[in-house]
Amino acid sequence: MSSQGGFGQSKEFLDLIKSIGEARSKAEEDRIVLREIDTLKARLSSPNITKFKLKEYLMRLIYVEMLGHDASFGYIHAVKMTHDESLLLKRTGYLAVTLFLNEDHDLIILIVNTIQKDLRSDNYLVVCAALNAVCRLINEETIPAVLPQVVELLGHQKEAVRKKAVMALHRFYQRAPGSVSHLISNFRKRLCDNDPGVMAATLCPLFDLITIDVNSFKDLVVSFVNILKQVAERRLPKSYDYHQMPAPFIQIKLLKILSLLGNGDKKSSEQMYTILGDIMRKCDSASNIGNAVLYECICCVCSIHPNPKLLESAADTISKFLKGDSHNLKYLGIDALGLLIRISPEIAEQHQLAVIDCLEDPDDTLKRKTFDLLYKMTKSSNVEVIVDRMIDYMISINDHHYKTEIASRCVELAEQFAPSNQWFIQTMNKVFEHAGDLVNTKVAHNLMRLIAEGFGEDDNTADSQLRSSAVESYLRIIGEPKLPSTFLQVICWVLGEYGTADGKYSASYITGKLCDAAEAHSTDDTVKAYAVTALMKIYSFEIAAGRKVDMLPECQSLVEELLASHSTDLQQRAYELQAIICLDAHAVENIMPMDANCEDIEIDKNLSFLDAYVQESLEKGAQPYIPEDERSGLSNISNFRSQDHESSIHALRFEAYELPKFPVPPKAPSILSSSVELVPVPEPSYVADVHQPATSALTVSNSGSSELKLRLDGVQKKWGRPAFSSTTPSTSSGDTFESNNGTTRHESISSTKSKVHDVSYDSRKLQPEISTEKQKLAASLFGGASKSDRKQSYTGQKVSKTNSHGADKSNLAKVASSSDNAAVIPTSQPPPDLLDLGEPSVTSSAPSVDPFKQLEGLLDPTQDTTKLSSGGVGVPNAPDIMSLYADMSLSGQSTTVANPPPNAIKTHLAKQPSKGPNVQEFLEKDALVRQVGVTPSGQNPNLFKDLLG
Amino acid sequence: MIHFVLLISQQGKVRLAKWYSPYSQKERSKVIRELGGTILSRGPKLCKFVEWRGYKVVYRRYAGLYFCMCINHEDNELETLDIIHHFVVILDRYFGNVCELDLIFNFHKAYYILDEILIAGELQESNKKTIERLIDAQDLLVETAKEEANLISKLIAQATN
Repeated sequence: MSSQGGFGQSKEFLDLIKSIGEARSKAEEDRIVLREIDTLKARLSSPNITKFKLKEYLMRLIYVEMLGHDASFGYIHAVKMTHDESLLLKRTGYLAVTLFLNEDHDLIILIVNTIQKDLRSDNYLVVCAALNAVCRLINEETIPAVLPQVVELLGHQKEAVRKKAVMALHRFYQRAPGSVSHLISNFRKRLCDNDPGVMAATLCPLFDLITIDVNSFKDLVVSFVNILKQVAERRLPKSYDYHQMPAPFIQIKLLKILSLLGNGDKKSSEQMYTILGDIMRKCDSASNIGNAVLYECICCVCSIHPNPKLLESAADTISKFLKGDSHNLKYLGIDALGLLIRISPEIAEQHQLAVIDCLEDPDDTLKRKTFDLLYKMTKSSNVEVIVDRMIDYMISINDHHYKTEIASRCVELAEQFAPSNQWFIQTMNKVFEHAGDLVNTKVAHNLMRLIAEGFGEDDNTADSQLRSSAVESYLRIIGEPKLPSTFLQVICWVLGEYGTADGKYSASYITGKLCDAAEAHSTDDTVKAYAVTALMKIYSFEIAAGRKVDMLPECQSLVEELLASHSTDLQQRAYELQAIICLDAHAVENIMPMDANCEDIEIDKNLSFLDAYVQESLEKGAQPYIPEDERSGLSNISNFRSQDHESSIHALRFEAYELPKFPVPPKAPSILSSSVELVPVPEPSYVADVHQPATSALTVSNSGSSELKLRLDGVQKKWGRPAFSSTTPSTSSGDTFESNNGTTRHESISSTKSKVHDVSYDSRKLQPEISTEKQKLAASLFGGASKSDRKQSYTGQKVSKTNSHGADKSNLAKVASSSDNAAVIPTSQPPPDLLDLGEPSVTSSAPSVDPFKQLEGLLDPTQDTTKLSSGGVGVPNAPDIMSLYADMSLSGQSTTVANPPPNAIKTHLAKQPSKGPNVQEFLEKDALVRQVGVTPSGQNPNLFKDLLG
Repeated sequence: MIHFVLLISQQGKVRLAKWYSPYSQKERSKVIRELGGTILSRGPKLCKFVEWRGYKVVYRRYAGLYFCMCINHEDNELETLDIIHHFVVILDRYFGNVCELDLIFNFHKAYYILDEILIAGELQESNKKTIERLIDAQDLLVETAKEEANLISKLIAQATN
């Protein structure tokens, strides 16, 4: 044998192959290959190697790489070899580069020139070699370099070249559809090529084109039908026959195209009926390829406008497939059945036995295909059996890819068809328990939303039942070790929202469980965050209900631990919890309304709720707010002035410009002096963030363009007049920023966040007034009852949090220390334009965090979780699922009463529940039948003998 | 579309690997390991298809050699089985009673043949005779090139002597 390998190969190479063949272990093989790599490296770097030696080394490189080792050190030699004149070497070079390089490799640019040259070669074999390389290596960037030549080759006299040129264009189309869109007429022309091979090759690009745009190819239906007819009538050369079938590969390709063209088009479909019927009748169902054509016919028949006769013969073929002995045919039969039941659902009935057989089969592939079919057949009557089966199978496999898929299918089916709350919750528990880390977080958020929104808007009892059963089962599960993080998040959220809702469990019981969970998963920050928030909710519900809250010692220690957490998010949640617990019932009720997670929370981006306050401040003599673009424009004063004189229309701007004349308001100069260097630094940056997202960086030197900016920027004037009040924007922006921050970092933030938001809205209105009227603030924010010093400290915390976020972002840690001052002094701050001038570095660094971007980010995740703070965006999605659910719940409810789970599959399959008792009996009966030997035992036992030959 | 063609021996050794979709060297080894494990362990009576990462891998065993092709979900598995067979028949005709050793020592020839059957992941020619004619033409050309080269080197040798 090895003598055949003597084609120019040295003994050395043959020895290498032999020794690798004889290697007893993977380690030994690796050793040999590594030694070979060293040899090759040394040989390739030596200056004088002959070309024929080099050719052999390339072959050895290919071999090394085939064995899974890196041969990239030799790629350049392969590239060089493609430049060689001799076809012998050129071919080897092309073979090596097509095997070594992917289309995005850097070296490809070095080959393009050679390819261009070779495409022009007189020798058609050289052209063929180049075209092979073109198909593999030319990427989007290099297509234009060879495209004209490839198009020219469509008219080459050798059919092999034409064929490869067509395929190369097909490849280009896949890479960059735009590059060949003007060449569609060429494909149409090639369809009439004299050579059947070229015609067949043309079907590939046409199939892709038709997939994308059916309508512009409807005129070809007649041609395709004619070609198919000719092929089926054996008009092609005999050499195209394969296992006595006339050109089956071409037939299959044509059938694929016809099924696209006939889809939903009665007129086109009618032209195909005759030929489809002919092929199905003539097809040799004893050979593999015959069945391949038959299967393709079924696909086509199911796709085009239905024809009863054809559907009938399709059904016959399917039952032949299913009854056959070969697993391959069963697999295809199941697949085809899935197609056919979409058109005639009743056909499933006669194949129920076969389907169950396949489901029980030890062959994994067949089983999965059957699950595909069941998934398509699921209805509210059989959902329980199917999903239970799916879950059992899901638990039994290790393949992550498929596990993920089947888990999300289970969730989907359960959501659509759930017959009862109980069942739904249990199913979800199972799915999450076993595949919780694999399913998309969206699925978890969906589950939370379903539990929160319930089945329908009217049926409140059903909703609370759903929640109670969820709470009950979660309390049972929460203690189990090794729960997936996603599942724990759901559990914590649900327990926080509804744990105490039905009064069945005491707050201390649930908080205890939550603390245990947080402790058991101390490394998972997200779970801890969910747990703390849940604790906060439960405590605030308790307070709101007028009960006294006794924090369990473990809760206390948890909160204390989190107050010092490295995660700012956890810290913040802990502080919020601490703060809320100290409030009175009325305030808490407003902050944490019971069961309000479905309420929409509107975000007023214009901050119009501040209008009254701003107006008031203005009347009291505060400085009006100046939008940032104008402020940056102030940097060059003289320039600005002359501007103003030229265009006096901008009266507002003119007013704003007067500001610098009073840099320090005379009102409270004494306080200012202490705070000015610390406090205001980050604040203008926030102002910039919120009100001027478009300005990415405001630079002092930018004065030249400032006039442009002023005209072009259509920034809304927030408060009627371009007013600047340093306090108002700073606090409000700080708050917005804070909540943005939390949300973007944790997509899945719960509704607490939005409630916190509410609080901050309240406080925002009032905080600025601290400076002038502390008493007023205290009274309106916390009610008259509580003591004022506590209020004061709370406010301080609030602000310090705000600022510490700011510090995170702008790296100004010292700001936090003066946070208390920030709340007290701000009114007397100097206008920010001065600051902009004074601290350009700070101002320009801050805008890199664009709060509007964050806001957008905040709007998106709301769809995932619950309503959250966005309102508008999250809503439109919800009704779909809810309405779906509402539909199901009706039918689902009725089944709950009867509750006949094992029956369900049968019920559906047989259409008449009374016919069969249940699946088990059915299977037993089937087994008996088999023992007796009545079952059809393979009509073609020798069908695939050649497979193994 | 065919994403890759693999020839794996019963011992899990790769005899030929052709990738029509981009895979890095690392991914390639991973794919081979994964698929080798699944396919070699399947019983003879089971289907010759494996669902894998959203694709389907169709395989067929000839003696101790497994021919595998990875195809899209919507492709026809039986057709792919016959594409494999088509390839094997042509190999058989070319080598004359092809066996694993032929492919081990002449893997480059197998690559050249495969290049005439599949291109860009699609079947380019189903006519055996056309393919044979092309491959013969190439071999002939290579032979002449080789002879010429020998002649030249002989001449050079004579001239220098």
